[in-house]
Amino acid sequence: MINQLSFPSFVWKNLWRRRLRTLLTLCGIGMAIGAFVGLVGFSSAFEQAWLHIYTSSGTDIAVIQRTFLNTSIDESAAGKIRALPLVAQASPMIYNVMDLTPEVNALVYGWKADSYEFKSLRILSGQRFRDGKPEVILGYLLAEDLKMKPGDTLEIQGSPFKITGIYHGGSALEADALIMPLDELQQLSGLEGKVSTIDVRLRPAPPGEPPEKYLKQAQAQIEAVVPGTKAVPAAERASNNEFVRLAHASAWGTSSIALLIGILGIANTMAMSVFERTRELGILRALGWSRWQVMLLIQMEAAVLGLGGGIIGIVLGCCALRLLARLPQTASIVSSQVPYPLLAETLGIAFWAGLLAGAIPAWRGAQLSPVEALRHD
Amino acid sequence: MTSPALEMRDVRKSYEQGQIEALRGVDLSIATGEYVAISGPSGSGKSTLLHLLGGLDSPTTGTILFKNASLGSDIDLDTYRSRKVGFIFQAFHLMPTLRAIENVQLPMLGLSRRGMDRAARARDLLMEMGLEDRMESYPNQLSAGERQRVAIARALANEPDILLADEPTGNLDSKCSANVMQMLTGIQKRHGMTLIVVTHDDAIAHAAPRQIRIRDGKVEQ
Repeated sequence: MINQLSFPSFVWKNLWRRRLRTLLTLCGIGMAIGAFVGLVGFSSAFEQAWLHIYTSSGTDIAVIQRTFLNTSIDESAAGKIRALPLVAQASPMIYNVMDLTPEVNALVYGWKADSYEFKSLRILSGQRFRDGKPEVILGYLLAEDLKMKPGDTLEIQGSPFKITGIYHGGSALEADALIMPLDELQQLSGLEGKVSTIDVRLRPAPPGEPPEKYLKQAQAQIEAVVPGTKAVPAAERASNNEFVRLAHASAWGTSSIALLIGILGIANTMAMSVFERTRELGILRALGWSRWQVMLLIQMEAAVLGLGGGIIGIVLGCCALRLLARLPQTASIVSSQVPYPLLAETLGIAFWAGLLAGAIPAWRGAQLSPVEALRHD
Repeated sequence: MTSPALEMRDVRKSYEQGQIEALRGVDLSIATGEYVAISGPSGSGKSTLLHLLGGLDSPTTGTILFKNASLGSDIDLDTYRSRKVGFIFQAFHLMPTLRAIENVQLPMLGLSRRGMDRAARARDLLMEMGLEDRMESYPNQLSAGERQRVAIARALANEPDILLADEPTGNLDSKCSANVMQMLTGIQKRHGMTLIVVTHDDAIAHAAPRQIRIRDGKVEQ
């Protein structure tokens, strides 16, 4: 068997030659990609949990203020929406984050006692709250955190609230949340007569009517009857609410910085490599290699570093997510399952990061004059 | 008269914005299949001349022709180096991470040859150089003479028309030098190649059928 030399094997030998540096560079880009997988995976799981809140309760549309952030609309709009022929149910609600104790904060929902959203909950013990009463129900994870059960009293902003039930939520986010009567939360947060959003369930579309067209028709009717509001399909609302947007922005922002550091690491490695191999690049040029081939060699080395780092990063990121999915503080939100499109996206980003990092060193390597390069010590 | 393989017409090469003149109006013609030794004192411009003939550099003024095609304009320098010339260096310049057989395949990577064909060609060349037992050795496992023979095999990889050797025996003892020169002249005769050897060694220069002496950037034939 004759030993064949190919372009990829030459690339590999060049990288393997300086193992420690290659390994350290792989670790650097691996950490960056790991941070990306962990953070973006976390925010995607967060978005999925929000989406699940809507899908499990059968919400089709969320009606919010047009300005979008800190959305606040009149509760009375729910009646106008409910009167529309396409609408089956409309449920006004408030959601917010609240400090329950110095150590525990939680998502707090204000619902009407007859809200259809209860359909997505399973009461594990006790019963629902009643409108106008200082009563709450707790998600089972929050109840565990607070070590409370039905019949206990929880103090919220100095007022006692009786825990009437413990529930299992349709979404992981609800498991760590608290739900109380809408009017009580309005009073607590000084938003009398106001709600964050009105969740809407539509009547089934007539046979033959395309669901998208039906949904658009309902959106238009709602926006017409309640001026200044926006009727957003549930899936879009799940990915666009302020919590999810904040989570996405934080994840992308932090991982972009990590990626930038990783790219600089590869660029540094490749620049050093080109400098140290100046004479060898000159030899390749003397042997007839074109500038393009020299560039390709260096770019392939950089891309292999990027891809290798990407694979290490995916393993690290998945391990981090698995760990978070087991921790009680994050188990309700984090899923250990990383979506396949995210993995493909990550490998693509790692590959392009390698190419980007290798671009300048490759260009410099290709510009070397063969004679000057051969004279280089 | 055999047609010229290489011609230089009033070639000048200067460095550092004209302050150093390495070659000062060189006119030269080397016939196809000719064996030429270029000699001269250090700094006379021998290596510059060889680099220009090999397409590693371009002249400041003047023209270099390969079979009547102007280098750098009629024929691209990369193509010329990869297909028409083979280089042999004094310091061998083998890749330390590659085995002997892989070093020989290196110039062929750029050409559209199949991997198996490249490897077979490299094996045949190393066998021709008497290195059949050293194919899988790395350069640091080879003697100086063996390394130079690997470098010769590498120079022949793409079946060039011209073989350019820059002090090919400069790092070898006298016995190895004689072997390498015998090998080079044998190849030149067998393949009908043009062989141009830059040397300090008077014995090597005198053994060549034609000797070109360079002094102060000018040819003294």
